[in-house]
Amino acid sequence: MIAPPDGLVLGGVAPALALLVAAATALILGTVRADARQGGAVALLGLVASAVFAVRNLVDPGAHGATFGVQWVVDGPSAGLSIAILVGTFLAVLLSWDAPVARVGDRPEFYPLVLLAAAGGVAMVHAGDFVVLLLGLEILSLSVYALSAWRTGVREGEEAGMKYFLLGAFASAILIYGVALTYGATGAFDFGAIGAALAAGAPGPLALLGGAFVLVGLGFKVAFAPFHQWAPDVYTGAPTPVTAFMSVVVKVAAFGALLRVARDAWPATVPSLDLMLAVLVALTLVVGNLGALLQSGAKRMLGYSAVAHAGYLGLAVLAAGQGAASPTTVVWYLLAYTFMNLGAFAVTHLVMHDDPQGDRIEAWQGLGARKPGLAVAMTLFLFSLAGFPPLAGFFGKALAVRAAFEAGWSALAVLALLAAVVAVVYYTRFVFAMWFARAPRAGEVAASDAARWAIGLAAAGTVAMGLFPDVWYALVEGAGVVAALTP
Amino acid sequence: MTLAMLVLPLLGAAAAAFAPGRLAVAGALASALATFGVAAFLSGAGAVSVAWLPALGIDVTLDPFGVRGVLATTAALTMIPVVLTAGRQAPAQRRTYLTALLLMHATLNGVFLATDLVLMYVFWEATLLPSLFLLGTFGGPGRRGAVTKYLVYAITGSFLMLASILALVPASGAASYAFADLLPAARALDPVVQTWLFAGFAAAFAVKLPLFPLHAWLIDFHRQNPPSGVADVAGTLYKVGGFGFFAWAIPLLPDGAAAFQPFLLALAAATALWGGLAATRQEDLKSMLAYMSLSHMGVVALGVFSLTPVGLTGAMFLLAAQMLSTGALFLLAGMLHARTGQYGFAHYGGLAKSAPALAAVTLFALFAAIGVPGLSNFPGEFLALAGGFAASPWLGGVAALGSVVAAGVYGVNTYQRLFQGPPGERRADLGPAEILVVAPLIAGILWLGLAPAPQLERIDASAAVATTLAAPPPTPLALQGDAR
Repeated sequence: MIAPPDGLVLGGVAPALALLVAAATALILGTVRADARQGGAVALLGLVASAVFAVRNLVDPGAHGATFGVQWVVDGPSAGLSIAILVGTFLAVLLSWDAPVARVGDRPEFYPLVLLAAAGGVAMVHAGDFVVLLLGLEILSLSVYALSAWRTGVREGEEAGMKYFLLGAFASAILIYGVALTYGATGAFDFGAIGAALAAGAPGPLALLGGAFVLVGLGFKVAFAPFHQWAPDVYTGAPTPVTAFMSVVVKVAAFGALLRVARDAWPATVPSLDLMLAVLVALTLVVGNLGALLQSGAKRMLGYSAVAHAGYLGLAVLAAGQGAASPTTVVWYLLAYTFMNLGAFAVTHLVMHDDPQGDRIEAWQGLGARKPGLAVAMTLFLFSLAGFPPLAGFFGKALAVRAAFEAGWSALAVLALLAAVVAVVYYTRFVFAMWFARAPRAGEVAASDAARWAIGLAAAGTVAMGLFPDVWYALVEGAGVVAALTP
Repeated sequence: MTLAMLVLPLLGAAAAAFAPGRLAVAGALASALATFGVAAFLSGAGAVSVAWLPALGIDVTLDPFGVRGVLATTAALTMIPVVLTAGRQAPAQRRTYLTALLLMHATLNGVFLATDLVLMYVFWEATLLPSLFLLGTFGGPGRRGAVTKYLVYAITGSFLMLASILALVPASGAASYAFADLLPAARALDPVVQTWLFAGFAAAFAVKLPLFPLHAWLIDFHRQNPPSGVADVAGTLYKVGGFGFFAWAIPLLPDGAAAFQPFLLALAAATALWGGLAATRQEDLKSMLAYMSLSHMGVVALGVFSLTPVGLTGAMFLLAAQMLSTGALFLLAGMLHARTGQYGFAHYGGLAKSAPALAAVTLFALFAAIGVPGLSNFPGEFLALAGGFAASPWLGGVAALGSVVAAGVYGVNTYQRLFQGPPGERRADLGPAEILVVAPLIAGILWLGLAPAPQLERIDASAAVATTLAAPPPTPLALQGDAR
């Protein structure tokens, strides 16, 4: 057990604590005065405060270590993933600022739920053992179940909430069962001890079954095929700001957890689990990309695209778990994904005006002529998702594929790039509709200032991460700017 | 100075996009002229290197050595008439046109000059977007299909190349993606691994070259492009496939190249023959030019895959020459279209009477394109075919049949049907502005044709790197240290 240095205990958990305090404040404010704007302002403040602590965790090597025994790990990847979660939440809050979901005066729980979900996500990426991981996962999941069913009275909205809740509860149960089996096989909850026990001898069937169940449980959360069916339906049914939020925050948190489990709890001595993960990744790449090709609505397309990106991230996790690539690859990809995916959902939100049919490809025709700024931003997001250089998504995919080659999964890497060709086709269909269709569709696209800010920040992040990929990489990799500046 | 090849076109693109009124055109033109001015002195310039992603060993490294500088110079020369023509578009289209063209030029220079493999890939992909944008926005009625076809062909190739690029460093253990680091490490790779990696590179380069049967996008691309010819010329500018084989795939993976050589030589000969024969059968000028340039690219490919110094040098020279001659022809086609709104040969005839200067310039460019000695294409075509004959007399013969014999037929046919015969309606002759547009290209055609030696020497220096196939890896410094 690593003894925490003085003052570290609160420092390490400060990002999550700041979110919890903000959530409580927003909730109390909401019961006193039902004003959604106040809740949103508190949420933004809380996120900024949390981000300050997370940045300190990232750049100050003195803050790195394990807190509360080994249950709460602070290091480059965990701090980096926290920042990705906070950035995603911040942009989603901006996006919801003027959206109908946040304006419902008698339901001031919206922002507290968003903040709680983010806190759960932060806990997951810092988890050093299965207890914290499960706590974080449940805090996150319960909040997101409620958020995804926010549009009551709308059939798709209720279906989304119900589907997500039932399948999510099932997945949580499988995950917990897997944790129990793993504990039975190794006598430990913390990842390092499990890893040591598995490395000591040949892992028995109990440990393998436990590992497989954990993989299935987390695989549901990250939308690995064939556990992905919920994703397009829930993404379509939930209000778009919520979809934007869950598409990035849930994914970052779940991949952060998977990364830690794969790297620490399943050392490279468990090839069966690697093989299982590899099969899931291959399936996810094929199903996600082909599924997205068949969609006519932007929201469903982005839902399948989220599945496809889970495949690339899975590739990076696979390599990182085998020690072939640095975990920074996954962390880098997830921040890039946060910017480009949230941006794409933000533009979709404005084009749709929450009309369930409003995201069909016809709605995008002539957007370049009507709203050039919005169309340029969407083009950036879609090209980045497709993996065109020099945008963020290119380095994400390139880092993941390179990691796969390093780990020896060459066939999987080539499959990933061939699947990316399919991705180019479905993303550019929307780009073509925006720019090359000569009949502009009547109808205004109104963008509030807050939504403009959200899209602008996401676009800036997408471009900046592509042009200066090294900055974020060096920060997460652990050299840290503080260490670099002090002689 | 080398960095200016990227910065100047980007500044021009910014001026074209944001400067008010005519200043936009002036800024674009100034940047094109300045870029060419810089390019003319490139042979004495050194490499520049700026760290970009050091954690992964990726840098922004640009080097105008050898063939890189020659192609960048020719491209810069071709950009001048392209910008001049685009500047005369209707004001509503001018900005978009000029911005896209100058962005294309910047990225194209990046492809030519980058000596870091990942950087080259970044520019390679970036060239796609402006050309797609021009075609998709201003193209003909079938532009959607043409854009999609082009995109799918290009992206499939690119991503397979990306797979090879990303696999190259882990497989070879090279210290970085820099050419100098990759060269010894990649050549030492097992021949089977080299063959796989070469296949990935070949997928991308063969699509862009384009090699039969991957050429279908090229014909649609030209047919659907806007009529001014500007986008076609800019399109021919980035026929970077041949360059990619020459500068990257062949030097890095000689065993892979040797394994694929018979297959690729056969495809090259088929491309030259098929393009040449199809060109003789076209009923409109633009389709004829599309197939003609396909046929030339077959000869380029023949020279490249001969893997002989002569063939490789000739192929690269032909690539540079083809930018000028085909560029001039596409712009002239645009001028004809501006007079009649037609490309079909049936709508023309007897133009030599009413428009003698137009006829003379077109004949000159046609002569250059079909390889008349003294003009730009001849030295390259001759050397590329000589290399092809050395590698395989049979396939060299097939290619020569396609390029030389067919070229005579379609060249003479085209001239006859456009300019000879009974005079039809009176057409305006070349105006002063149009003469200004074609003048740089005519000067370039004469320059490469009359004094090819300096450029051939520059290319030769690069070919020497590409063809030292069995060279032993350089002695590691550590060994020298031990010998003390």
